[in-house]
Amino acid sequence: MSLLSAFPRTQIPDEAEKLRPQVKAFLEKSISHMRPQDRAKTWTGFDAEFSRALASHGWVGLTIPEGYGGGGRDAFARFVLVEELLAAGAPIAAHWIADRQSGPLLLRYGTEEQRQFYLPPICRGESFFCIGMSEPNSGSDLASVRTRAIRDGHSWRLTGSKIWTTYAHQSDYMIALVRTSGEPKDRQKGLSQFIIDLSLPGITIRPIRLGTLDSDFSELHFEDVRLPDNALVGTDGEGWTQVNAELAFERSGPERFYSALVLLDMWAERMRAEQCPQDREILGRLIARLASLRAMSIALTGRLAAGESPVIEAALVKDLGTSFEQDIPEIVAASVGAVPDRDADPDMLATLAYLLQLNHVFSLRGGTREILRGMIARGLGLR
Amino acid sequence: MDDILLDPFKRLLAHICTPSVIRDEEGRSGLAQCWGELEQSGFIDALLPESRGGAGLSLSEVFPLVVACGEAALPAPFAETMVARALLDKRGAELPTGAAIVLAPPSPVVPLAAKASHALVTANGRLSLIAMNAGASDPFRAGGYADQLKGETLLEVAAGGIDLQAWAAALAAAQMSGMMMRILDMTLRYANERQQFDRPLSKFQAIQHQLAVGAEYAVSAHTAAAIAMSGQHFDPLRAAAAKVCAGEAASKLCAIAHAVHGAIGVTEEYDLQIYTRRLKQWALAFGNERYWADVLGSARLGTEAGTSADFVRLHLGNME
Repeated sequence: MSLLSAFPRTQIPDEAEKLRPQVKAFLEKSISHMRPQDRAKTWTGFDAEFSRALASHGWVGLTIPEGYGGGGRDAFARFVLVEELLAAGAPIAAHWIADRQSGPLLLRYGTEEQRQFYLPPICRGESFFCIGMSEPNSGSDLASVRTRAIRDGHSWRLTGSKIWTTYAHQSDYMIALVRTSGEPKDRQKGLSQFIIDLSLPGITIRPIRLGTLDSDFSELHFEDVRLPDNALVGTDGEGWTQVNAELAFERSGPERFYSALVLLDMWAERMRAEQCPQDREILGRLIARLASLRAMSIALTGRLAAGESPVIEAALVKDLGTSFEQDIPEIVAASVGAVPDRDADPDMLATLAYLLQLNHVFSLRGGTREILRGMIARGLGLR
Repeated sequence: MDDILLDPFKRLLAHICTPSVIRDEEGRSGLAQCWGELEQSGFIDALLPESRGGAGLSLSEVFPLVVACGEAALPAPFAETMVARALLDKRGAELPTGAAIVLAPPSPVVPLAAKASHALVTANGRLSLIAMNAGASDPFRAGGYADQLKGETLLEVAAGGIDLQAWAAALAAAQMSGMMMRILDMTLRYANERQQFDRPLSKFQAIQHQLAVGAEYAVSAHTAAAIAMSGQHFDPLRAAAAKVCAGEAASKLCAIAHAVHGAIGVTEEYDLQIYTRRLKQWALAFGNERYWADVLGSARLGTEAGTSADFVRLHLGNME
């Protein structure tokens, strides 16, 4: 990996920028009533109605070809859309996974029949997806998954468990990584991806309640679930390769640094009323980091649009980006706590309290910091 | 485009700027011995319009050259002279021949000033080119100038809204990003070669993760420097973002590089200190990250409409 050429200068094309005012106008109407602490949930805020309203504008499945009901736009247009949604704190969790990963995955690896069946409802905001990766005994060590699908004539029988699956309890389908041959010790070999209709018999789903009393994740059990032959996505035994092809999409986007932007802007608003040079300087440092992150993310958007898969570069953006979004609540807390005799705005305090509880997760979801640094080190020729 | 411009320039630097040349130049004031070759190479007028005998390139096009100067720790104000010549030419001033020019806004240290014959300074809304008196001190021993710059004023032009501080900071950030790439590269190589506990340092996870973080900082600084070297002219907010990222990255990366190298890294005979010494000098020059962060923070607070994402897009989003 040559670091100097890994993030080429890239400008969002004018054509994609044309989308921005339309999205801003829509958000102005549709979410200005939301409380800041709810907007702070961004891509973990679930609102099926909002997702359908977005879809009615053609903004779900924006990069899916028009023939399957999508917008037929490129990765830059999606960057613009997603940047506006995240910066405003729109509740986009319902369609988020289908839009970012499942749709593109089916487009790339699915059969024509699968595409025709699954993509149009995704684009209408009527079909929500989750991704089944982690298991009770497989976290960062993803290749050790034990959930197993066994071929049985013209169908498959699925047994096992998944955990920490974002919004499985509110999703229609899961795309899961499971073992179809060999043993856990065979690691990356013998893994496959399946699309699982979560209404099938034999599936139990239990939401996991967090300390915030929200339930973003769930735990699933599969007991001899019968899957049709066409539940297999892509090639039997190629699951690991297919999963890795998604990683550059999953790790390089603006959702890896905008998760606490709502709070940052509330803090800036509060700062306007006072003169605290130290806070102003700290704000400036955050703005500088954001400028660099955004340019890096746009550079990788360009490489993705060109059909490349910059997986290691994406790991680098995610590690830097999640550090940035994790720092914001800590910095705001330090600022608020340093002036005990000033009343804090209750909305800001609620937003801060929410993010202080969950900012730890920013560097866990989608690959932990330690895994990412290991990948970067390999890219640098150190392993 | 980059390569037909950059490759010959890098070949030139590899030829005229070896570590022994750098050490030699550290021992004395005055123009670097390679200055004549640099000046005659034609790269020096890359920013001048073609009608004026230049190459008509943009800031973004010459950015890789400026980074390469930092990467080589070039003991001559090539980038500064290139920019100053374009500026003076645009103002209709006659370009002095043989002049090696630094940009010298207020700064506790002006890197490369002891390797320059002229300095561009601002006073009373005017830009002045001064011929510098000899004799300088640089506690970093890197050809800088920590004294008050004095000399005879040769010519004056209207500043016309030019913020010399921002120009100098942007060029500093770009050269710092080059130095950081060099430091990272040296440290990666050392980690792969040096054996302890019967294996290379690079096999230890603690070392791998530090170097991964080092690479993140280097890339972040390089990207921010690219932002500063975009558009038609230098801009204080873009320069601010670049100098903040460069300053923050410099302190982290120097710490990592020296930790991985151990004591050999600070010895005179080993090259690492050539680059980290300069990096720290540049970080201190033309406003450090605290200074520029305050500029950025003030600008953000002065912009009431829109989110921070809007602010970044509108003020720091041009990459062309």
